[in-house]
Amino acid sequence: MVADMETHGPVSAAEASAALASVERSRARVAWAGYPAWYWLATAAGLAVLPVAMLLPAWLGVVGVAVVAVVLFRLIVAASRARGVCQGWTRSAMRWWEVAVLYGPAAVVMDVAAFLPPLAWWWSLVAAVLVFALFAGTGLTLSARIGRR
Amino acid sequence: MTPPPDTEQTAAATEDGFDQVIHAPVRLRICAALDPVREIEFGSLLTLLGISKSALSKHISVLADAGYVEQRRAVRDTRQRVWLRLTDTGRSAYQGHVAALRRIIEGSRPS
Repeated sequence: MVADMETHGPVSAAEASAALASVERSRARVAWAGYPAWYWLATAAGLAVLPVAMLLPAWLGVVGVAVVAVVLFRLIVAASRARGVCQGWTRSAMRWWEVAVLYGPAAVVMDVAAFLPPLAWWWSLVAAVLVFALFAGTGLTLSARIGRR
Repeated sequence: MTPPPDTEQTAAATEDGFDQVIHAPVRLRICAALDPVREIEFGSLLTLLGISKSALSKHISVLADAGYVEQRRAVRDTRQRVWLRLTDTGRSAYQGHVAALRRIIEGSRPS
């Protein structure tokens, strides 16, 4: 069976193009497939804590952000074990635009919440809900869609 | 002087970087999955590629014989797992092969 798959001789542009397409599919599956749903939900919850932390006194906010950072780190390690994929700290299977699609909208909401003068106390809560929905929604959707390819 | 890894030519690769060992469809997908990460567990790679265990084992053996893939055994939850990673030679051969495929496509375009 393996011998049947050997390729010899000149490769046409169509074959090269098909090979590159399969390379891209494999890369995308490694980047997105296999994440447990709890990873997206828990990470989204962790990120959603950040706008709420601004409502707290400064020292408590800093402590809260530090705790969230540790929890997010442990989530990444746990998800990596659950997926059976170790990306390491210097590599990522995601392209820069995929990272932008995943984190971008949540980051924009957090920036707006941080830099705009607070409209009301509930603005941070609205921002937290938006961050949670945007990150969890994007992660779950892309993970499911690319995982099915 | 030792050539830098990205220009190192392997036994299976032609001068333009095209590598017959890697070009087999499943092996190309294996290398594509291993390239952007540090290592992948055998069972996870099996799921990602959607092929049989025996087929994956055979292709991994071919890649390991060529010095492109390394295997590491580790025990987790009382079960032994095999983790796979591309070696530096394998990563350089794979990237050279992908570059060769891109050149084939670019060469076919009318100027």
